[in-house]
Amino acid sequence: MDKKRSSWRWAGIVVLGLCCIGGLAWAEHVDPKAAMVGKPDQITIRTLAAFQKLELPPVTYFHDKHTNALAKDNKGCDTCHLQEGDQLSFAFKRRKTTQPDEIQDLYHRNCIGCHNDYVAAGKKSGPQDGFCRSCHNAEAPLNVVRLDAGMDKVLHYRHLASKNIVGGSGEAENCRACHHVPDPATKKLVYAKGQEGSCRYCHQAEAQADLPSLQKASHEQCLNCHRTLTNRGLQAAMPLDCAACHGAEAQAQLAKKNQGLVAKLPGGEVPRLKRGQPNATLVRYEGKTNGGPEGQGASLPPVPFNHQAHENYTDSCRVCHHASMESCSTCHTRGGSDKGGFVTFEQAMHRRTAEGSCIGCHQAKQEQASCAGCHNSIVQARPADTKTCQLCHMPGAGAVASPQQKAALAESLLQSRRRGPDPFLTAKLPDKVVIKELSNKFQPVEMDHAKHLSALQNGMKDSKLANYFHSLPGTLCQACHHNSPAAAEPPACVACHAKTQGVAAASAAEISRPGLQAAYHGQCMSCHQDMGIKPVATACTECHQKKPQHAALSHQEKE
Amino acid sequence: MQRRTFLGLLGAAGMGAAVNKTAPAAGVKHFEGYPDSYGVLFDATRCIGCRSCEAGCNQINGLPQPDKPFDDLSVLEKKRRTNAKVFTVVNRYDRIPGVAGAVFRKDQCQHCLEPACASACFVAAFTKTPQGAVIWDESVCVGCRYCMIACPFEIPTYEYNEPLTPRVMKCHMCHPHITSGRATVPGCVGACPTEALVYGKRRDLLAVARQRFAAFPDRYVNHIYGEREMGGTNWLYISGVPFKEIGLREDLGVTPAPELTSGALAAVPIISAAWPVLLTGIYAINKRREKIATEEKKQAVAEALAKAKAQAKEELDKALAKAEAEKKSAVEREVKKALEEAAKAQAEAEAGKGQTEEGE
Repeated sequence: MDKKRSSWRWAGIVVLGLCCIGGLAWAEHVDPKAAMVGKPDQITIRTLAAFQKLELPPVTYFHDKHTNALAKDNKGCDTCHLQEGDQLSFAFKRRKTTQPDEIQDLYHRNCIGCHNDYVAAGKKSGPQDGFCRSCHNAEAPLNVVRLDAGMDKVLHYRHLASKNIVGGSGEAENCRACHHVPDPATKKLVYAKGQEGSCRYCHQAEAQADLPSLQKASHEQCLNCHRTLTNRGLQAAMPLDCAACHGAEAQAQLAKKNQGLVAKLPGGEVPRLKRGQPNATLVRYEGKTNGGPEGQGASLPPVPFNHQAHENYTDSCRVCHHASMESCSTCHTRGGSDKGGFVTFEQAMHRRTAEGSCIGCHQAKQEQASCAGCHNSIVQARPADTKTCQLCHMPGAGAVASPQQKAALAESLLQSRRRGPDPFLTAKLPDKVVIKELSNKFQPVEMDHAKHLSALQNGMKDSKLANYFHSLPGTLCQACHHNSPAAAEPPACVACHAKTQGVAAASAAEISRPGLQAAYHGQCMSCHQDMGIKPVATACTECHQKKPQHAALSHQEKE
Repeated sequence: MQRRTFLGLLGAAGMGAAVNKTAPAAGVKHFEGYPDSYGVLFDATRCIGCRSCEAGCNQINGLPQPDKPFDDLSVLEKKRRTNAKVFTVVNRYDRIPGVAGAVFRKDQCQHCLEPACASACFVAAFTKTPQGAVIWDESVCVGCRYCMIACPFEIPTYEYNEPLTPRVMKCHMCHPHITSGRATVPGCVGACPTEALVYGKRRDLLAVARQRFAAFPDRYVNHIYGEREMGGTNWLYISGVPFKEIGLREDLGVTPAPELTSGALAAVPIISAAWPVLLTGIYAINKRREKIATEEKKQAVAEALAKAKAQAKEELDKALAKAEAEKKSAVEREVKKALEEAAKAQAEAEAGKGQTEEGE
């Protein structure tokens, strides 16, 4: 009897052990949820959180799952969304946000009711009454990547040029289908020609008093139009589901398609949007100064600015006009104001770390490989020098009265910018430079000076920006021949960088200035690395040929 | 007060003195390093991982040739540590978040301003020189290797394969070579082709590091590793990536190692002087108490015996008296009984005589 019991006990232990091992193996085999990326249609319903502390966790809802199930029964969006004419309301079963208990009742009655109907019809369905936690699931939902559905320049053009826009009738009239402003008299939304701006100027991330949130505004406008057109039978890629606008894959496809469309346009460019903006203007502070009347106090000459050209360099007006289409100085005053976040006019133009400032945007361009070789080694926090300032603040751009005069002066100044070729680069330059440092260990280095120069010139060949800002004589030379005035024959490196390898430096200043070997290596290696050009820094013999008699030279034989 | 309680309190007071950090005898002062001491600044944004520093170190110190030559960069595939034959190593750090390429870091003795190895060494074989280097004197070392355990950077190593004269081996910042005039900078610094290593006065190096931060704010993490870590070191690091990504511990704090132990160690003399007196006193007290206790016990036993004796005698007397009384009463009772019987017999005899007389 005892023996029998003992063998059962052992069997139990073995089974338990196997279960544990199996469980562990399974746990390891199944990816943890955190590693999974949810689809854009995963919606978290937490409407009541705006009113009160939630009793139960929010509901994770999969939109596509429901639309697909409904589509099988030929049911459409109006099953869940109220419809008025062509217009759907994208809140669930309601038009306006009401009381919390009404909303709760609305969801419970309709969700569970529909699930019950499906079950009664003998169909597969979702949770019913009493299964609270099946919907109010405390488990963290999947990590959803829902990209911003941006309307870039090309997509905007496609909408503008469309012949199908509801409420528009071709290019001249399409604007009014989307752009609106409230009419102060009637409080109704009307189209105002010449006042079009980004949706975000008014529609914020969160709903304001009378203004729906950006999400609600764009869903109602985009989706209702897309739906109407789809219902009319225009099926061609009219995005309706979440992933079509917010999914990474769909966005990549769209970008590719748009690229192809742009290539077919005349000039390979999206036609310019006309909203009364100038072709060129003079950028200067035009608001009131803090201390006195408008314009008082001297300032740098205004900057002639090619507005038309910059429209093409950016994806949308919003890149620079980030909060409104008004002039910069409306918010960014000379002394700084609350409205402009205390970013002064000067900072708005010059702040190095701001995407929307002139300098910030120009500097971001320097990060590409063809620029980084030189620009990464230029001291970031260097004082401004007059000559560089004058490249933008052109002397001779004085005060003008009318906008027409301003535009004319700006254009003439921009015209006068065309400069001749760099005199230093047209002079006789050495083809090869022989560097004999380290020639006790290696053969002298033959640096192909002409090749290096042409590489730099080729890198900036197609960039108007680079060409203009390198137009001061000798600018390109100074990438390597730095810290001394531009000259036809710049001083030799050794004039400043002593052969101090292995010699103790006496002061911080001496330590800061590299010795000759480190100066060469620092400049060559960092430039090659930043531009992604071979040889790599540790491939000594790619630059320094081995000495024939020292073919087997290694580090141990140094000195 | 109970003896046990008293001793308990005494012990607690002694321990309190031992762990008290502000014990005046500990003499902990804020030490900012020797003025004008030298150090090395390592800039991870300049290091190309060529191993020239390793070669320079090996050569100037006459260390054994490694298995793979110094221009063989395949050794960088594994993380290496210093050992008895290698005072410095360069390691490559790949897969740093947000960094495309690899970052390299040279490792060697950090030459702490207040070295943990020196504070752990009970024969004072380590010296922090005013020039900045931490050096080791083989003539006094007993080979306990406490220094190896104490070092937070895992730097001192030991010649395990030397059976007779094993030495503790570590970087000495070329102190012997620089003082003898053989070199003006450490071997590694002299061999660095990019000045990723620069040698100079520690305060100049701190200034140079800050100049670089100011000139290239986007390139560097704005922190000089070694300025304050473990109370400060003479070897300093600056980097474009977080220091933990290039194998430098970020959990060391800024307290110099000796400060962590000096409080407790300073109590050692007090304890070694005070405890013999204390223990002798306790011994004497114990002895005396024992003696008194023995005497008291003897007296108590004698008293108890006497008392018992007296009590026994009294009880005996009582018993005897009682026995006497009983005997007396028994005799009386017997006498009385006999008398009664005699009287009865006499009466019966008189009655019988009368009858006989009647019958006659």
